[in-house]
Amino acid sequence: MLIKLKGGKVFDPAAGVDGKTQDIYIQDGKIVKAPKQDAGVKIDKEYDLQGKVVMAGAIDMHTHIGGGKGNIARILLPEDHRADPVVRGQITRSGCGHVMPSTYVTGYRYAEMGYTAAFEPAVLPVNARQAHMEMGDTPILDKGGYVMLGSDDYLLRMMTANKDQQAINDYVAWTLQAAKGIGIKVVNAGGINAFKFNQRQLDLDEKNVYYDVSPRQVLQSLATAVNQLGIPHPLHVHGCNLGVPGNVETTLDTIQGIGGLPMHLTHIQFHSYGAEGDFKFSSGAAQIAEAINKNKNITADVGQILFGQTVTASGDSMHQHANHQFANPSKWVCMDIECDAGCGVVPFKYRDQNFVNALQWAIGLEIFLLVDDPWRVFLTTDHPNGAPFTSYPHLIRLLMDKSFRNDMLATIHPEAQKMTTLASIDREYSLQEIAIMTRAGAAKLVGLHDRGGLSSGNWADITVYTEHEDRQRMFEKPDYVFKDGQLVVKDGEVVKVTWGTTHIVKPDYDASVEKDLKKYFDRYLTMKLGNFKISDDEFTEDGRGSLTEHPLKGGAA
Amino acid sequence: MSALTLTMKHRLDQRVDMSPLVCHKLAGLTPEQIGAIELQCGKQKIRVDSLFKIQGDDTQNLIIANSFAKLDYIGKELQGGQITIEGDVGAYLGMQMQSGVIHAKDDAGLYAGCEMKEGLLQIDGNAGDFLGAALPGNKQGMKGGRILVKGNVGERAGDHMRRGAILIEGDVGAYCGSRMVAGTIAVMGQCGRYPGYAMRRGTLLFWQAVQAPATFNDCGSHTLAFLPILFSSFGDLNSHFAEPSEVFNRVQRYGGDLAETGRGEILVKLA
Repeated sequence: MLIKLKGGKVFDPAAGVDGKTQDIYIQDGKIVKAPKQDAGVKIDKEYDLQGKVVMAGAIDMHTHIGGGKGNIARILLPEDHRADPVVRGQITRSGCGHVMPSTYVTGYRYAEMGYTAAFEPAVLPVNARQAHMEMGDTPILDKGGYVMLGSDDYLLRMMTANKDQQAINDYVAWTLQAAKGIGIKVVNAGGINAFKFNQRQLDLDEKNVYYDVSPRQVLQSLATAVNQLGIPHPLHVHGCNLGVPGNVETTLDTIQGIGGLPMHLTHIQFHSYGAEGDFKFSSGAAQIAEAINKNKNITADVGQILFGQTVTASGDSMHQHANHQFANPSKWVCMDIECDAGCGVVPFKYRDQNFVNALQWAIGLEIFLLVDDPWRVFLTTDHPNGAPFTSYPHLIRLLMDKSFRNDMLATIHPEAQKMTTLASIDREYSLQEIAIMTRAGAAKLVGLHDRGGLSSGNWADITVYTEHEDRQRMFEKPDYVFKDGQLVVKDGEVVKVTWGTTHIVKPDYDASVEKDLKKYFDRYLTMKLGNFKISDDEFTEDGRGSLTEHPLKGGAA
Repeated sequence: MSALTLTMKHRLDQRVDMSPLVCHKLAGLTPEQIGAIELQCGKQKIRVDSLFKIQGDDTQNLIIANSFAKLDYIGKELQGGQITIEGDVGAYLGMQMQSGVIHAKDDAGLYAGCEMKEGLLQIDGNAGDFLGAALPGNKQGMKGGRILVKGNVGERAGDHMRRGAILIEGDVGAYCGSRMVAGTIAVMGQCGRYPGYAMRRGTLLFWQAVQAPATFNDCGSHTLAFLPILFSSFGDLNSHFAEPSEVFNRVQRYGGDLAETGRGEILVKLA
């Protein structure tokens, strides 16, 4: 079946197309070249997109949609479910939840906003099966996960024993394959572990009292491993000292300390705080943006906060424990997970009349607007930590509409207004820059070689919007969303439920790595090594899931 | 004007969500309009007039006649007016009601008066578990108003209760006043095990002897001048609680729950 999307205004930064009117042809789920005029090819279906805006399907490169913490958050917030019931439709299933929706509703709502892929950034290897199953229950979207290392006992033992980089590479590659991830994430490097030894904070060069290893060493060895293994997604780093006033110094230090290796700093807004002013809390956005502009090896997503009720769910049990006093409603969970890592779930209500929250909001926007290169900064709210993903259209409007932004700024806590330079920033994002941040750039960053673009050979994940002055309205309700060439959303409503694939990479390792690991599993863990490894069948046996392997950098594998 | 009377024509297998039929939502509607309202029943929607015979027109005085135990959410978030129910009612009677009067003439199910804010809920029969409690997972139960039950009550009455009064003429089940934050529960009949389990503040007042849990301290016998004042505030109720012969001021006092902040009390009437 050949589908023609006729006459749309195409924004495809991957191919350098910026608002040019052109036709797009879809065949067998992929975008194809225009058929020759005289070939007499029959077009089966034509969509007239005169004046409409056409982009690739959006990709959320950091959103917590799978894994145990989501279920903890759901259990913790029954009132959130009761306040937002979703009834069964003709083809959609029922569900509920605003800040942490049920899996089906997550898939529908993402698709209804024009998103076609989402990546879970905190897959604990030992819980990876559950995370994949949850994502396997999330319709329409493509998905994938970054496997969390850095606070796991096995790696820290290796580092204490001064094992060479090759051994660490083998362990990282083995874990990534066993847990079926597409990248490596590190959360508060070694800090989750240090918490178990009663350390309540861990600076970049502070040593874990038991292993005698510092976060800097963990970051360096993991970033080196990711680089040497050829994993396309750079090491995904949730830095030290999340949310601590003055942590901007730590973050700058982290950027310098990685020594030019590719590194992605996630929800950097939470790591860009100074300690100046009357309240000992100030914006470090300018310094961070300058450092990102200067160091081309660094990418970042913002983790913007938006006002209202949400829930924070993070592997960083150290800082979640520190923040539990701000829980609203007042209930929270912090836990250890095997020897792997931890987990903390704390409900939050960000308020515009709270000085700290208001300044956090401004800091996030400052970072968006001060980082020059949209290929290296990404649009996230760290769903659900800064705000639920459903607030993305609002966030896009804040970035694209200066007067709207300044109107909002005028309503926040007056002391916070004085502490931010936001009012003096004139930049407004263009549609092309939004397309870079949420499509082409995100695909490149994650390492998806055939998504995020609209040139022939790409999978036909396409979103069509009606241009509107109010960018929130425009991005809230796309006219059409195609997933792998199938029309899944029309006029902002799901019209077909499909199942996306799970994206992975498979770096090589020396098979002998399992010898030591088997002994370790038998001695210390609740799970046997054989069960720890997730097989391909577990994705495909329900008849709707699939795995898609992406090439490594440098042509390896 | 005569009371708006909805008489149930036949019983259904599935439960019915009655929350659209509250006085403030019906104000100004004609009987025809009320008949056209749709109620959720299991997975189907049914019209009010297919289930009820509609008589009368005073929407602020609603009578549900021939009711049975599968009618849930009667009087949900009620804002003023009176609802009288003849026959049993299902779960969540008067949930989160804000003002007005609900009078159930027979038994009520689970979670009657849960998270109620103000007004009067009277149940002439028995009430189920979690009377005046918080919904599962929520932190605050009943926040104000009064609940009067003439029959017996199930377990966990007043769970997470925050303010207001629950008056029970009959017996009460186990865990009465569990996790209570404040407010008053008065029980004339027998009390089940573990009264005041994990209560922080508030008062449990018993006419009959109770076995105080191990985490309550016996504080001795007291003559409390506030008790007659408390009883006089029940004077407007059609209840034994309003009878002058029931007034007393001598009680044995137990403080607890000491496993919590321990500022609550169990008061037991002394002969």
